[in-house]
Amino acid sequence: MSRRARGERAAVHIAVILLVIVVLAPFLWLLQMSVKTQEEIFAFPPKLLFAPTFENYRALWDSTFRRSFANSAAVSVTSTALAMLLGVPGAYALSRARFRSAGQLSLWVLASRMAPPIAFTIPYFLVYRHLGLLDTRTGLVVIYLTFNLSLVVWLMRSFFDATPRLLEEAAWIDGAGLRQAFLRIVLPLAAPGLAATAILCFLYAWNDFFFALILTRTEAMTAPVAVVNFMNYEGWEWGKIAAGGTLVMLPVLVFSFLVRNFLVRGLTSGALKG
Amino acid sequence: MSAIASAGRARARAAGPGGAALERRFHWWCLVPTLAVLGVVTLLPTLYLLATSLTPLNLTQPATQWDFSRPLRNYAFLLSDGRLHGSLWVQLKLSFWTVSLQLLLGFAVALMLNLRSRTLEALRTVFLIPMVLPPIVVAIIWKVLYTPDISPVHWATAALGWPLPTLITHPSYALGAIIVADIWEWFPFTMLMILAGLQVLPEEQVDAARIDGAGPWQLTVHVVLPFLRGVLLVAGLFRLIDSIKAFPLIFILTDGGPGTVTEVTNYYSYIQAFNFSQLGYSSAITVILVALTVVVSALIVRAVGWGHSGE
Repeated sequence: MSRRARGERAAVHIAVILLVIVVLAPFLWLLQMSVKTQEEIFAFPPKLLFAPTFENYRALWDSTFRRSFANSAAVSVTSTALAMLLGVPGAYALSRARFRSAGQLSLWVLASRMAPPIAFTIPYFLVYRHLGLLDTRTGLVVIYLTFNLSLVVWLMRSFFDATPRLLEEAAWIDGAGLRQAFLRIVLPLAAPGLAATAILCFLYAWNDFFFALILTRTEAMTAPVAVVNFMNYEGWEWGKIAAGGTLVMLPVLVFSFLVRNFLVRGLTSGALKG
Repeated sequence: MSAIASAGRARARAAGPGGAALERRFHWWCLVPTLAVLGVVTLLPTLYLLATSLTPLNLTQPATQWDFSRPLRNYAFLLSDGRLHGSLWVQLKLSFWTVSLQLLLGFAVALMLNLRSRTLEALRTVFLIPMVLPPIVVAIIWKVLYTPDISPVHWATAALGWPLPTLITHPSYALGAIIVADIWEWFPFTMLMILAGLQVLPEEQVDAARIDGAGPWQLTVHVVLPFLRGVLLVAGLFRLIDSIKAFPLIFILTDGGPGTVTEVTNYYSYIQAFNFSQLGYSSAITVILVALTVVVSALIVRAVGWGHSGE
């Protein structure tokens, strides 16, 4: 390798490491805030060595935040399960059958995933007022289907497109019915895609802020809205805000790490052919 | 025997057991629940939104809900509402700067990460963090960085003798502050898409251009960029749609202010609906936003070539 090429490589490495710092530092700053006392948060120059305190987390555990966290978990899991149950067979059919209106269907699915949340919030808000679904978990589960069901159809369809028909055909020849082949052959083959799609659905529901902000008050309030509520009083409790924020992002980071390879594909799905 | 099997296979490729009709019916039954539920949760509300946009619905006056006496009055008001036009201009600025800078930065970083190096490959995962974080947490992180009392950035710049004003309450800098935060959150998305595109760039094309004596710049402009055109287009369109939906950053950092300098159309619609209770007028604004979204989505579907089912 020439000296010039080696120099370029070194420069690229330095630039990337600097960028990694820019990406990580703001996020790490929030983490360390969550284990500091209020005085330490306001102390500058910042102490790099300090005895971490879990007081902020304990305060959260003793407050209504615990219930909000449980709400978030329950709503996200239920909505994911429903979206998978309803969406996977449809995605399979879209992948295997040739429908004349496939183009319009793709547009419908993509547009419902892309629509600004307020477009659904206004009608749901009006209808929920009459149905008594405001501030209920059920109400959130249903509205989360608007984006999760389309997400399942969009992702699983491209996943089924990529699995060969050959094995289904072999099963048919061996006397399996269509349903059997789907349940026993296709689904197990698609297991990694199913798992990753479910995790993405969970993350989208978990990360939602807008729907929960408008459609819940106290009973069904989710964790992201609860964290923001710590900002509404004079003398913001930054320690609690940081701790709450950390708890909200924790499951997200764990799950994202588990599916990091699929994540790229999932987020970019359909953008690249093949 | 094998002839029969292969004949069977040939028939199976055309249709499942029981023939094409049965297969069609099976697919139909798979699809019906999906489409029925999707229709109920997305199409009905959209129709309701459209109907509401034709009424002067104000939550404090229940009688206004089904008042269709002058259906187009909201749409007429759209044309003369100065605050709405201002919000569209803010939206345009926000979308232009975030999308173009994210594409530029994403492209530059993707080129660097495309280098064969184990260190760089290990570092790729780090870039996922900003875009998978809950948007509300991203907003909190930047709220901390932009609040002088507790911000390490404000402290560091002041210590270097170059104190910053409070950016998010300053009319000239507030939108810029939001743009910076949005770029931090989403440049990894464009970067990952471009990187995925770069990785399927055929070696031969690069080698051929090199042999013809192309330098790194010429290589980028004449070989890499044309190859990535589709990826850049789709990544840009996805970001464009998301920038129309921008909410948590604005809600937490500036609340649309100071004044209305960071009030994008989506945010204005939210304020009309849930601060001023003007759901009818807000619906009309939202209908326009949805129409925009559908147009951009249609461009994506076409760019990706998903107009046809299957392969």
